[in-house]
Amino acid sequence: MLVMRRRAGESFLIGDVEIQVLEVGGTRVKLGIRAPESVAIVRREVQITKNENLAAAQSVSQGVISSLVRQLAH
Amino acid sequence: MPQIHTECLGEIEYQESSVFHFPFGLPGFEDERAFLFLDRPGAEPLIFMQSLATPKLCFILLPILAVDPHYELFLEDETAARLGLPDTGPRIGTDVLCAAIVCAARRPDDVPTANLLAPVVVNLKRQIGTQAIQPGARYSHCHPLFSQEEVATCS
Repeated sequence: MLVMRRRAGESFLIGDVEIQVLEVGGTRVKLGIRAPESVAIVRREVQITKNENLAAAQSVSQGVISSLVRQLAH
Repeated sequence: MPQIHTECLGEIEYQESSVFHFPFGLPGFEDERAFLFLDRPGAEPLIFMQSLATPKLCFILLPILAVDPHYELFLEDETAARLGLPDTGPRIGTDVLCAAIVCAARRPDDVPTANLLAPVVVNLKRQIGTQAIQPGARYSHCHPLFSQEEVATCS
């Protein structure tokens, strides 16, 4: 992983995408992102949750429910 | 009484007053705005979160405290306001239903996991819900049920 140090007000580019550090607080960093409209910007945890929801929805079946109930009873 | 024919639970009769609203849907299911929360005799403590719009869409949930008795729910101010909850920490079970979505298995031999990173949180009085993603790295999106081992296939 590339690591770089930036101060508030400084920015960097990933291809066409500019990311600027706006503010550095105690436990949080505020970032500004300038990107072409075609680039989707999603918080990583939202993407993880989306993938997990899709997997969970697909995993449901009658058999799975019976098996879960059996395992929970132990 | 309105009915839906669900793939998972068969024919279900419900009352309009038992519908829970998710104004923003869920990540990956942004258009799903209305769900029923159902239990089934013999299947406790499982909760079935059945979509009203899509009969084949049903999530299996477990009460968060059944998965982790020490779970600490954090709600951003914005999320609390959206759910009509006070800023002071809502009490799980009294003010809110807080439950983890279970992923039964990605592949046949996988152990079931629960998503503790993003529990479903519902204001029980107003019947409004959302999926409240927890900050930081405290909770896993694929916490193994029935096993303390880390799940290698977790992704």
